[in-house]
Amino acid sequence: MNDASAISVTATPAPAISVTGLTFAYPAGPTVLDQLRFEIAAGEAVGLVGPNGAGKTTLFLCLAGVAPIAAGQARVAGLDPAADRKQLPAKVGIVFQNSDDQLFSASVGDDVAFGPLNLRLPAAEVRARVAEALARVGLTGFESRVPHHLSGGEKRRAALAGVLAMRPEILLLDEPSMFLDPRGRRELLALLGEIGGTQIIAAHDLGFILERCRRVLALDRGRLVADGPAREVLADAALMEAHGLEVPYPLR
Amino acid sequence: MTLALDVPAIADSPLSRMDPRWKLAALVPAAILLALVRTVPPAAAALILALVLAQRARLPGAWLARRLAWTALFIGLFLIWLMFLPDPNGDVRRFGWLSISVVGLTRFAVVLLKTLAVVTLILIVLATAPLQDTLKAARALHVPALFVHLLLLTFRYVFLLAEEFGRLRTALRVRGFRNRADLHSWRTIGLVGGTLLVRGSERAERVGHAMRCRGFDGTFRSLCDFRTRALDVALWGAVILTTGGLFAWDLWRR
Repeated sequence: MNDASAISVTATPAPAISVTGLTFAYPAGPTVLDQLRFEIAAGEAVGLVGPNGAGKTTLFLCLAGVAPIAAGQARVAGLDPAADRKQLPAKVGIVFQNSDDQLFSASVGDDVAFGPLNLRLPAAEVRARVAEALARVGLTGFESRVPHHLSGGEKRRAALAGVLAMRPEILLLDEPSMFLDPRGRRELLALLGEIGGTQIIAAHDLGFILERCRRVLALDRGRLVADGPAREVLADAALMEAHGLEVPYPLR
Repeated sequence: MTLALDVPAIADSPLSRMDPRWKLAALVPAAILLALVRTVPPAAAALILALVLAQRARLPGAWLARRLAWTALFIGLFLIWLMFLPDPNGDVRRFGWLSISVVGLTRFAVVLLKTLAVVTLILIVLATAPLQDTLKAARALHVPALFVHLLLLTFRYVFLLAEEFGRLRTALRVRGFRNRADLHSWRTIGLVGGTLLVRGSERAERVGHAMRCRGFDGTFRSLCDFRTRALDVALWGAVILTTGGLFAWDLWRR
């Protein structure tokens, strides 16, 4: 007799991000992302490496539902980026390469409140989230500061606070260590560790990825050329050389 | 980086406590009425009253004076020639070889005085409330959303544009470029302008992406809650009546 109740099944949790055959091309332009296929588990921190023009930023825009996927399928936090674009901002946050692109409000407080207000949360909830997000990135008291008066590190933190205030399940970080001095870089690494959750970090700073991520995806000309443990992929000198990258100093 | 468009910290004053909607509803019509003034005494009175209002709003004197000086210089460069145009009535004052038309001088003075008065009112609006609140007030007064968004983004990104221009200028200088007002110089300046335009367009696209990623649907929202008080209405009435009176005085003098 087959007693189903006696069978213990450990359910595999649904991946935070699942991509099958994802393809993207600009109108009348070359293919930027070509048949990508990968899965990222909830809570995993994954590095995304590749030379300039590999398609890292475009992949982020596709996952956030901003760039339309031409072919293939993607599930991000259980949502379809093509069909559920309006729900995605509450689930997926992008910290852009240049913080000035992200800090468009007249004050830091207004900018951090921008996302929660768009989620149409009550004012008291928005204020609480702004205070919490600023405290988390160490910018309490910066509410009325104007963004163009902040240092590079402060701008990066303010941009991160703007995303954290939306409490996303998935964080996509595009070149997070760019424009940061060594101390700012170290503080950001610690902060990302504290924040946790599912993170994809696209960076040329391979040392940063090595410190934060156990797994790495390597892109080149829109194709996924490697997917594996960070220490193995980044130490593969031939692979790195073939795709315009270098083995990071700690692995030499 | 501090630029001419930077606003000082907001000081506590009756104007900073005023509901931004009533402030806009008072100062924008006042500025429009002042722009229509055509005689010197009302224009001069308007400037004096605007400066008194700025003082009551506790605007930093040096900050205000610097901006008014630049405005006066700009207006002066464009309109000073009005004084030297031939006068059809022959009402001309001669100072040696220099002939000054009285009508031209009067017009120059009127434009200068009323422009300074209007700029003072605009600076009062900018320096007595966060821009986000003022723009929300503009939306509440049915100013088109597109115009409000453009104002906000222009204010935010004009600083970056200035920084970018500064970097390009440095890059030109370190490669030996000097503006010699010749064809090469003008072509180079044109290329710099084109580069800024292209970079601005690329930035606009990235900013648009960043806004959409945080759920922007075309509506700007703010935490500022407006509440009308009796003092708001009284201040609004005082500004409207005063500028209305100045305009009536101007009409009577014509």
